[in-house]
Amino acid sequence: MADFYQTGIIITLHKLGRPSLEKIESEIFEFSKQRPIALVLPALYTEFQADAIKGIVEELKKVKYVQEIVLTLGRATDEQFKEVKKFMSQIPYEVKVIHNDGKRIKEIYATLERNGLSPGEDGKGRATWIAYGYIIASGRADVIAIHDCDIVTYNREMLARLCYPVVNPHIDVTFCKGFYSRVSDRMHGRVTRLLITPLVRSLQKIVGFHPFLVFLDSFRYPLAGEFCMITDLARVLRIPWDWGLEVGVLSEVFRNYSARRVSQVDIADNYEHKHQPLSADDAQKGLMRMCVDISKTIFRVLAAEGVVFSDALFKSLEVAYLRFAEDTMMKYEADAAINGLIFDRHEETKAVEAFANAIKMSAKIFIENPLGTPLIPNWNRVGSAIPGIFDMLKKAVEEDNKF
Amino acid sequence: MENFINVLLDPLKDFWAGFIVFVPKFIAMVIIFAGGIIIAWALKLLLLRTLLAANFDTWADKAGLTAIIRKGDIWGKPSDLSGKILYWFIVIIFLMIGLNALQIQAIDKVVSQFFLYLPRIFSAMLIFVIGYVIAGFISRAVLIAAVNSGYHYAKILAEAVRLMLIILILAMVLEQLSVAPSIVVASFSIMFGGVVIALAIAFGVGGIDAARRLIEKEYEEKKKKGEEDVEHL
Repeated sequence: MADFYQTGIIITLHKLGRPSLEKIESEIFEFSKQRPIALVLPALYTEFQADAIKGIVEELKKVKYVQEIVLTLGRATDEQFKEVKKFMSQIPYEVKVIHNDGKRIKEIYATLERNGLSPGEDGKGRATWIAYGYIIASGRADVIAIHDCDIVTYNREMLARLCYPVVNPHIDVTFCKGFYSRVSDRMHGRVTRLLITPLVRSLQKIVGFHPFLVFLDSFRYPLAGEFCMITDLARVLRIPWDWGLEVGVLSEVFRNYSARRVSQVDIADNYEHKHQPLSADDAQKGLMRMCVDISKTIFRVLAAEGVVFSDALFKSLEVAYLRFAEDTMMKYEADAAINGLIFDRHEETKAVEAFANAIKMSAKIFIENPLGTPLIPNWNRVGSAIPGIFDMLKKAVEEDNKF
Repeated sequence: MENFINVLLDPLKDFWAGFIVFVPKFIAMVIIFAGGIIIAWALKLLLLRTLLAANFDTWADKAGLTAIIRKGDIWGKPSDLSGKILYWFIVIIFLMIGLNALQIQAIDKVVSQFFLYLPRIFSAMLIFVIGYVIAGFISRAVLIAAVNSGYHYAKILAEAVRLMLIILILAMVLEQLSVAPSIVVASFSIMFGGVVIALAIAFGVGGIDAARRLIEKEYEEKKKKGEEDVEHL
């Protein structure tokens, strides 16, 4: 059981006692009549060859309050798309599969590209963004929930707890992010533990009080891929298509809504999904690439908020980060000890060194080109530039799903 | 015997004579058709280059033409589609010219009818494209005006206006193509007239009380004014 401490400036919803899933689900069912819910599932075809998706689909079959599932599928051939569509058809309510590599959706991307509205490269950012576009176009949902398709420990309580704060008009938050611990025989979540928190706190120390840093530090798991939001937010989101996606979403939420209407919710006692390799020697792969993209996004958001970055600031940041990360590591070592978990200090130190290197690289990239981090345009702008885009997108998805 | 041989050979001779006359015409047809394909290909290439230079695809996206094409489940670039249309159009024209070279009476008639019909196809296409753009423009203007006036059903109103205009454009297009013109005009008149009458009745029935109040108020005011007027003998 978690504590009940309210972290930072956002609302934190803990898992206290033994909340009844049936009660929450029946309430969501009633609320969803007024605020229909769509669930976005970004997935690669390879994820359909693993076991996690089977468990997720089994759980989703029991969910009664979701109006529509939009599975946005990447790296799949036409045959594989059909296979996925058939697999998803066992869910007894509306499921639409977006075939990102199909000729119709590719043409949508080409249309955006030639109008100067690049949706970026293939990846989770672009895949979820196109799903939001389809949900806006279909006009059937007021609330959008999203989670990954590689969650081994998935159960429908995760979804219910994620949706509840947004769909419940008495709580009325616009955005809710999931949090959880990622523990097996050791602690996982290295990027959150050893990069984001020490980096944000070092920045706070150097830059001083800044609302965005306080906001970001309020999230217990800022990199969680599970969140729920109102559809209106999906219209105004300008997100990076690279690994800076999660931080980018948080920065947009910060920019558009008051922190009083933002929440985080404890969705699981434990969470297990695939782990990325560190790839300390290659900044184009694994956690290193993720760290470079995330750091760049944080720098860009802060610069947009008026923070002046200089070589001197970055040099101080590198030193401050290392100190913070080492202190944090000690805290986790103690935490691991009291819980009987394995703690490989050498591996953790290697990760910190790699992350420090990633910060250095991202600082260099940022100094060279502060606007270098690409952002996907928001749907309001796209709709204004190409008036027929929503009809086109709806047609593309519906034609793809007709067979 | 000689007579019998003549009976046998005469059809063959006739066939040969016909064949001798037909072959050059057929070769002419094949050459014209092949030349047509080459010209069509060259013109298609030229059109594609021109459209690319003129940013036609971007214009089509903004004007809503791409959206119309997509409704027909066609997913190529608008410029590619225009190129294909031009290509097949020229190929068909050259096929007709080629068939004309055969000098067969029945085909000649079809060919001349085809060429007489061409201007109608052009004007119908023009009416459709310009009409669709104008319909989109008017629909957006109605939407903006209705939203600014705080009208709750602004989107439905704008869509209704667009639909009515598209029906009008389609009727004009069919009329231009001479596709059952009397039926098109009659059905359009009935539909359009029906909608106008329905609106008039709806407005009239819904506004009976308001109209009565207005008339009574005016009558009362006139009466009151009449009583207040001082009459001089």
